[in-house]
Amino acid sequence: MNITLKVWRQKNASQPGALVEYTVKGIVPEMSFLEMLDTLNEQLIARGEDPLAFDSDCREGICGMCDLVIDGRAHGPDKGATTCQLHMRRYKDGDVVTVEPFRSKAFPIVKDLVVDRSSFDRIQAAGGFVSTNTGGAGEANAILIPHDKAEKAMDAASCIGCGACVAACPNASAMLFVAAKVSQYALLPQGMPEREKRVLAMRAAMDAEGFGHCTNEYECEAACPKDIKISNIARLNREFFRATLISE
Amino acid sequence: MKLESKVPTGPIDKSWDKHRFELKLVNPANKRKFKVLVVGTGLAGSAAAASCAELGYQVESFCTQDSARRAHSIAAQGGINAAKNYPNDGDSVWRLFYDTVKGGDFRAREANVYRLAQVSNSIIDQCVAQGVPFAREYGGTLSNRSFGGAQVSRTFYARGQTGQQLLLGAYSALMRQVGAGTVKLHTRREMLDLVVIDGVARGIIVRDLVTGKVERHWGDAVLLCTGGYGNVFYLSTNANSCNVTATWRAYKRGAAFANPCFTQIHPTCVPVSGESQSKLTLMSESLRNDGRVWVPKKKADARKPQDIPEDERDYYLERKYPAFGNLVPRDIASRAAKQMTDEGRGVGGTGLSVYLDFADAIKRIGLDKVKEKYGNLFDMYSHITDENPYEQPMRIYPAVHYTMGGLWVDYNLMTTIPGLFCLGEANFSDHGANRLGASALMQGLADGYFVLPYTIGGYLTGTKLPKVTTEDKAFVEAENDVNMRTKALLGTKGKKTPTAFHRDLGRIMWDNVGMGRNAKGLQSALSQIPEVRAEFWKNVMVTGDGADFNQTLERAGRVADFLEFGELLAKDALVREESCGGHFREEHQTADGEAKRDDEKFAHVAAWEYKGEGKPAERHTEPLTFENAHIAQRNYA
Amino acid sequence: MEATPDCASKPCRIFEFLESSIGKKIMVAAAGVLLCGFLVAHLLGNLLMFVGGETFNRYAEALVSNPLLPLAEAGLVGLFLIHIVLSVRATLANRAARPEGYQVYTGKGARTPGSRTMALTGTLILVFVIIHVATLKYQLGGPKGVDLFAHVLGWFANPWYSIFYVLAVGGVGLHLSHGVQSAIQTFGFNHPRYTPLIRKAGLAFAFLIFAGFASLPVYFGFIHEPALACCPTEGGSK
Repeated sequence: MNITLKVWRQKNASQPGALVEYTVKGIVPEMSFLEMLDTLNEQLIARGEDPLAFDSDCREGICGMCDLVIDGRAHGPDKGATTCQLHMRRYKDGDVVTVEPFRSKAFPIVKDLVVDRSSFDRIQAAGGFVSTNTGGAGEANAILIPHDKAEKAMDAASCIGCGACVAACPNASAMLFVAAKVSQYALLPQGMPEREKRVLAMRAAMDAEGFGHCTNEYECEAACPKDIKISNIARLNREFFRATLISE
Repeated sequence: MKLESKVPTGPIDKSWDKHRFELKLVNPANKRKFKVLVVGTGLAGSAAAASCAELGYQVESFCTQDSARRAHSIAAQGGINAAKNYPNDGDSVWRLFYDTVKGGDFRAREANVYRLAQVSNSIIDQCVAQGVPFAREYGGTLSNRSFGGAQVSRTFYARGQTGQQLLLGAYSALMRQVGAGTVKLHTRREMLDLVVIDGVARGIIVRDLVTGKVERHWGDAVLLCTGGYGNVFYLSTNANSCNVTATWRAYKRGAAFANPCFTQIHPTCVPVSGESQSKLTLMSESLRNDGRVWVPKKKADARKPQDIPEDERDYYLERKYPAFGNLVPRDIASRAAKQMTDEGRGVGGTGLSVYLDFADAIKRIGLDKVKEKYGNLFDMYSHITDENPYEQPMRIYPAVHYTMGGLWVDYNLMTTIPGLFCLGEANFSDHGANRLGASALMQGLADGYFVLPYTIGGYLTGTKLPKVTTEDKAFVEAENDVNMRTKALLGTKGKKTPTAFHRDLGRIMWDNVGMGRNAKGLQSALSQIPEVRAEFWKNVMVTGDGADFNQTLERAGRVADFLEFGELLAKDALVREESCGGHFREEHQTADGEAKRDDEKFAHVAAWEYKGEGKPAERHTEPLTFENAHIAQRNYA
Repeated sequence: MEATPDCASKPCRIFEFLESSIGKKIMVAAAGVLLCGFLVAHLLGNLLMFVGGETFNRYAEALVSNPLLPLAEAGLVGLFLIHIVLSVRATLANRAARPEGYQVYTGKGARTPGSRTMALTGTLILVFVIIHVATLKYQLGGPKGVDLFAHVLGWFANPWYSIFYVLAVGGVGLHLSHGVQSAIQTFGFNHPRYTPLIRKAGLAFAFLIFAGFASLPVYFGFIHEPALACCPTEGGSK
């Protein structure tokens, strides 16, 4: 089948970009969406044209490297899946597909569809950890964690840091990402000693990066390839309020 | 070249303690004077960078991805082994050690493996303290499961995302240090050369993948934690950006490369669907616990699997290995599948897959039970293939998954270049010729958290390290080499894309240096690879320029290195005239088709030394002795 | 970028809270919930119009003569200001958070008509409140020299005014259809069992507020003999 792509092309952060149209021929339904883009790139390179820059790595939905907004949806039409898990059998011959980068002030464009998500790293560096040095840990089973708590923490911890929550949010808010990290530690006894400090610091770092506010539109939850729930955002709100009140 | 393993003498269970005591300590006040460069941010790299920074060293960390959290360790599914013996089922450090040596088909260094088993428990403690959400029992204690045919339940796991959770734990430790200013993190940087001054590793040359700027970084020690080379086969379960460049560049600067032919092929992957396929996806081996593997008895049987009557099916694993049936080890299951497809009895559109059938399991334990046990794997499979494994058999095929070979390191994890250390999958040390399930995560973290932070101190105190600057001649020359190479890649302006060359190389490797290897095939590979390489430098098309974000250039550089490395791998496979673990030489098998080791001639590590452009590499050997684990032949028939 | 906030003193912490994205939202939500309380009280008072003009007028008189009223009114204005100022600031920050928008933005269906139109309905409500206070409280325009009940009826007799009133309280309903459950989420309450109920209850509340307020212009403007009510004659029409 043949697909018409309207793809965002932008040389670098400082130059303006625009949608450019390409026709990709010879697509088979088993191809993944990214393999379709690979095919386009192979054709472009063979013609000596600059191929489309886009990020991807593991291509099995766990590394969080791939992004893309496809026809206005972060990670494409499927729920609970990353772009690299999208297959061309979702499309039919003659379809026109628009592909754009994740858009946010805090994710500046590097080139074409590639964005810089280091703002997430900086938020993590502000407090997304338990301060424990190598070697200082006690016996693992000395900390008992109820099964359900551990499962809840795991639900939050399964965030892959792809940024789809930001891309999908009408306000480009990073609340779901921050909430997932804060929740994981807030649910576990290991996170308790730094509970207040962490949420205050991560919130400050998040705002400093220029992400938007959460207005509870819940598009983040709908776009999240790992089905991270907005109940985590509620927990983040709670944790932040609590920390503001009680921390010294 | 002398291969000094520096393994401590005396009883093996005391050797690590003894060694740690003998290592000189760095004065705490002096630690911040030493700078450590860490390349790669996977389990080994993140763990080492964070731990060294905690100790007080200046650390600079480098990764090619946009964030340290995306390293390929994240994709590991199954779990991590440790000898905690929580289930009280008879596990011990000794047993984990023994299983690992035996699983590695007696081609690993005993002392290293013993140390790995010893520190395995500390890894679990450390990860739990970091907040890694391991699976728990209702009482709140940690859960264990049995993995990869082990007879004890020693595997800790976090759903099917253990690698992710362990990496995020290490990443959080790393980011804590980045926030504290003790680690300087350089993302989207690719190491393109190693700088050696007076025979000692003193720096690296990296390319900023965003701006294209080539940078020089000096250090008192360089740690390569850059993962495996499975992508030499083009299609593998590795992430797209996994490559051999960092270790290969180090090899060309004098680090010996050990056992490159030891590659692991995983039997239960989603099969290749077509030419455009960019990677393969692994499904947990646990599928073989209940699934039955078969192919039609007739060649090129185009009927639907449901229409093939029972007596026209060949359940070949059950037929060939009646004792173990579908549960034979990875390498045996993989080779048997290849044999079937070679005979023309493969199934699916490409003929390159075999059936894994759950119909009997559904009949025996019920649909609900099958769903509960394998639901997520079935979902993953149907997502990729659009086939419903509850109604028709899955199709599976083996794929390259892990590489046991890597840079040769001594007991201190130091390569043959002083000051250059190698950790995790990138080194060769602990898995021998075959890695057991759930041991890769263990090794990466052991190296990064609990081995290197000690041994690096011994090196830094015991070595005279004159001050260097990035203006030194060696830096200028190395940068020059990098620039020349980039220029050559960009200047060729041929007709074929780097990916097309990679695919060509992959086909040669898979066909001749894959699951079953023989002298004829290996020789054929050794004659074909240089041809492809020659064509590459004449006809590769790399668009754009070097001073830009240029993914084609990145890929071209990696493919160029694979084109050199593939030859060494094939050569190592040709010289190793025995079968062991993942290395199966068809000339060397028992009457039952089982790998036949030659302990007389090959109970050693083969370490290759680079002798210069166009000159054959020199093979050195480090003899392996087994004083604690009793050498024996595997038998699964 | 400051990694750790260095707010040692309490006033600073409060300021930081108000300036933070989460704090702002909590304040907007809190003001919104209190305004909902006002809406309920106001609606109950208004519904007295159905009981009769006299009852309604007596209620209004009691309200106006209460010495605490100016205080309550000032509080109300304060709530409005907090709600509006912080919302506007948040909205501006949200726009700035995505300087270059999408060419195509479809989303995955989580947004609701209410959530999409919060800024729009908010603005509509503000305009309505200004007109509402001007016409019905300060009685600018409309029939002169009559009691409040007659005055209100006089305004409702104007079909354009009534239609605008219904549209505006429709805006209130739409605003609340998102606002109520959103506020609860912002306060940090989300529970697998109760949240679906809260969402439904929020919708029901929004609808009741809309229906309650809209019933007045609909009834007194279009169903109840409007011609009789329109003329401010002596004694009115009984």
